[in-house]
Amino acid sequence: MEQDEKQNVQEATTEGGAATTETAVPKIPIEKFSMRQLLELDACTRCGECANWCPAYDQDSREPLTPRGRARLFKDILSRQHGVFRADSLLGKLLGKKPVSLDELRGFAKDLYACSTCMQCHYVCPVAIDTVELWEKIRECIVDCGCGPLESQKDLVLKTKNYDNPWGQPRSSRARWTKIAKKKKRIQEEPKDILKSKSPVLYFVGCTASYDNNVEEVGINTTNIFQAAGVDFGILGVKERCCGSVLLRMGDRSSFVSICTQNIEQFNGLGITHLVTSCAGCLKTIREDYPKVGALNFKVLHTIEYILELIREGKIRFNREVPLTVTYHDPCHLGRHAGVFDAPRELLKLIPGIKLVEMERNRENSRCCGAGGGLKSGYPDMQNKISQKRIDDALATGATELVSACPFCYQGLQIGIQAKNAPIRMRDITELVCMAMGIETGAQGDSSSAGAE
Amino acid sequence: MYDNYLYFPATAALYTVSVITVLILIAGVFASLTLWMKGKAPSLHHRLNIPALVRAFFLECLLQVQILKISFVRWIMHFCIFIGFLGLFAQTALMAFMSHFVPPDTAIAKTFFVSQDNPLGGTGARILDMWGDVFGLLLLTGLAIAIVRRYVLRVPQLETILKDTLSLTLLTIIGLTGFICEGLRLTDPAYASVAAYSFVGNFLAGVFTSLGWSAGSYQNWVWTHALISLFFCAYIPYSKAWHIFVSPIEIMLDASERA
Repeated sequence: MEQDEKQNVQEATTEGGAATTETAVPKIPIEKFSMRQLLELDACTRCGECANWCPAYDQDSREPLTPRGRARLFKDILSRQHGVFRADSLLGKLLGKKPVSLDELRGFAKDLYACSTCMQCHYVCPVAIDTVELWEKIRECIVDCGCGPLESQKDLVLKTKNYDNPWGQPRSSRARWTKIAKKKKRIQEEPKDILKSKSPVLYFVGCTASYDNNVEEVGINTTNIFQAAGVDFGILGVKERCCGSVLLRMGDRSSFVSICTQNIEQFNGLGITHLVTSCAGCLKTIREDYPKVGALNFKVLHTIEYILELIREGKIRFNREVPLTVTYHDPCHLGRHAGVFDAPRELLKLIPGIKLVEMERNRENSRCCGAGGGLKSGYPDMQNKISQKRIDDALATGATELVSACPFCYQGLQIGIQAKNAPIRMRDITELVCMAMGIETGAQGDSSSAGAE
Repeated sequence: MYDNYLYFPATAALYTVSVITVLILIAGVFASLTLWMKGKAPSLHHRLNIPALVRAFFLECLLQVQILKISFVRWIMHFCIFIGFLGLFAQTALMAFMSHFVPPDTAIAKTFFVSQDNPLGGTGARILDMWGDVFGLLLLTGLAIAIVRRYVLRVPQLETILKDTLSLTLLTIIGLTGFICEGLRLTDPAYASVAAYSFVGNFLAGVFTSLGWSAGSYQNWVWTHALISLFFCAYIPYSKAWHIFVSPIEIMLDASERA
C-alpha cells in the first residue's frame, strides 16, 4: 500500500515535464502561505467527500485531481523542501526522503490547473478547508517557481497584462458595443461616460460582455433596464480595465495586485455610491478579493441585487407576461463565492408568467459549468464535457430556458448546448427582466432554436 | 487472592517506553508546528468572532453535525470513534494522574484507584469499569463500520493508503486488547462481586473461562495493550489521527471568518 501511495505521487508528478537537472529545482516560497493554509494541509481527513463532487475528477478520475489528492501531494512536496525531515537534511536522508524534482513540480502544476476553482470542495468539506484560497496560493507559488500557468493559459495572462482584457482586444474597442447598439437602435442612448457625468452608479461591464459579440446582450439589456428605471449611471468605456480575476485565478498575484491597485484608485476617485456588474467573476473579484488589497469606498452589487433594489424602490415594474419555463444555473462566483443564492430566485419569481424549476443540483451544490479558474483555456475538452453534464441537469427539469447571471457561464454553458444540440435556450437573467419590462431584446421569442445557434 | 498480576503497576520499563513515546510525539508536533510557522501571510482577514467559534466547536467539532448532514452511517462511524477515543484517553489520563499525583490514602484515591492494598477500589473504580467498557465498545463499533466501508464495501470515495490502514489497525488492536485484558482480569473469582459493572469484560471472562483461559497471561496482555497504545500516541502527529487536533482548529477558524 505504501508502494501504491508512492505510485500515486509519481503518477501525478511525472507527466508533462521536460527532463531537467536536480540543481535547477526552485523551492516553493512557503512564506507566502498563511499558517492557517499550511495547517489546512494537515487538517484534511482524506474522507473523499470532495471527490464525490469535484467536476474535474468527475471527468478524469485520477486521484491527483481531487482536492484531497492535491493537498496530500503538495504537503509531501513542502515537507521534502521545507520540513524538519526535508530531503537535504541529515534526518531526511536517514529517512530516505527524495528531493523534489522539477518534473515533479511541473506534473503537480499540470493537475493543479485542472480545476475550475468552483469552490464546491469547500462547501462539502466536513473540515471546511478554505480550498480555493489555498489552490490560488499554491498556483501563485507554482508561478513563482516558473512551473505555471500552463502554456495554453499563459496567453490569457499575457493578453490581460498587455491589453487589459483576456481576449486580446484593443482597449479602444472596449465600448464599441455601445456605439453599435445605438446605431442598431438596440439602446436609446449610449451609457454616459462616468468620468464626465460623475454619476453615482458605475456599471462595470466586464471584459466578456464588452468584447464577446455572443454575450453583448448582457450589456445592452443592463443598459436598457437602468435607463428605463431612470438610474443615473455611467460606464468607464475605454478606461475600464479587466478586474484582474484571470490573473488571480492563474496565480499571477503580483500582476493582479498591480491591476487591482489601479482599479481601486480609479473607482474610489469616482465618488460613486455603487459599482454594479453583470459578471459573477468581476463581482467576486471586486467584492471579495479587492478589499484584501485595499479599501473600497462604495458598495459592490451584482446587477440582480441592484435590480431588486430598484424594484423595491418602485423604479422597475413588470408589465408583460413572460410565459417561459426556466431553470436557473448558479454561477460559482456569484453563489458559492459571493453567497448570492436567493436574489436571482427572488427576481425570477417576481417576473409574471415565469415558471422556475430547479435543477437537482442547485444553490450551494450547483454543478459548475467548467468555464472558470482557467479550466476552459487549459482543458477545453474537459470543460466541454463538464458543461454537457450541466446541460443534462437542465434538460432533466423540462425547462426550455437555461438562465444564468454571468457572461462567462453563458459562454461556458453555450458550449455544452451546442455540443449536445440541446433543445434549451441559454439566456442571461437581464434578458428576462427586459422582456417583463416590455423592452425589446435581441433574442426575444426565439426559444426554439437554442441548440442550432 | 489479589495477586500481583491483577493490577498494572508503573515500572521503570513502562516509564522508559513512555518517555520515548513522548519524545517521538513531541518531535512530530514540532515538525508540524515549525512547518506551519514558516507561513508568514495573515491567517485571518477578519477579527476572531468568538460566538461563531464557540458555536462551531460544539456543533461541528463535538457533535459533527456537518457529517450527519452528509450521511447518518458516516456520522455514527466517526462519532463512535471520536467519542470512544476521547473517553478511553480521558480514562487512561485520569488513572495515570491519580496514581502519580493523588496520595493513596486520600478518599478520592481509595474510591478510584485500584492497588494491591485496595484491589477492588470504591464507587469511582466501578464508574471507571463501566466507563472503559462503554467507550471501548463505542470505539470498536465505529472502527467496525470504518473497516467494512473501506475494505469490504470499498466505498468509491475512499482512497486507502498505508496511513489509513495503520491507524485503523492500531486502534482496533488497542480496543480489542483492552477488552481481552479486562476479560482476563475478571476471570479471577475475587472480582465476582464487581464484575457486572464491566459488562463486556464480564461477558468475555465467561467466554475465557469456558475456553480454559486464566488470568495468568494478564500481565503480558496488558503490556501488549500498553505498548501498542503508546506506539499509537507516538504516531499521532505523523498519522491520519493528527486531524483529531488539527481539523477542529480549521473548522473554528473558518466559522469565524465566515461570520
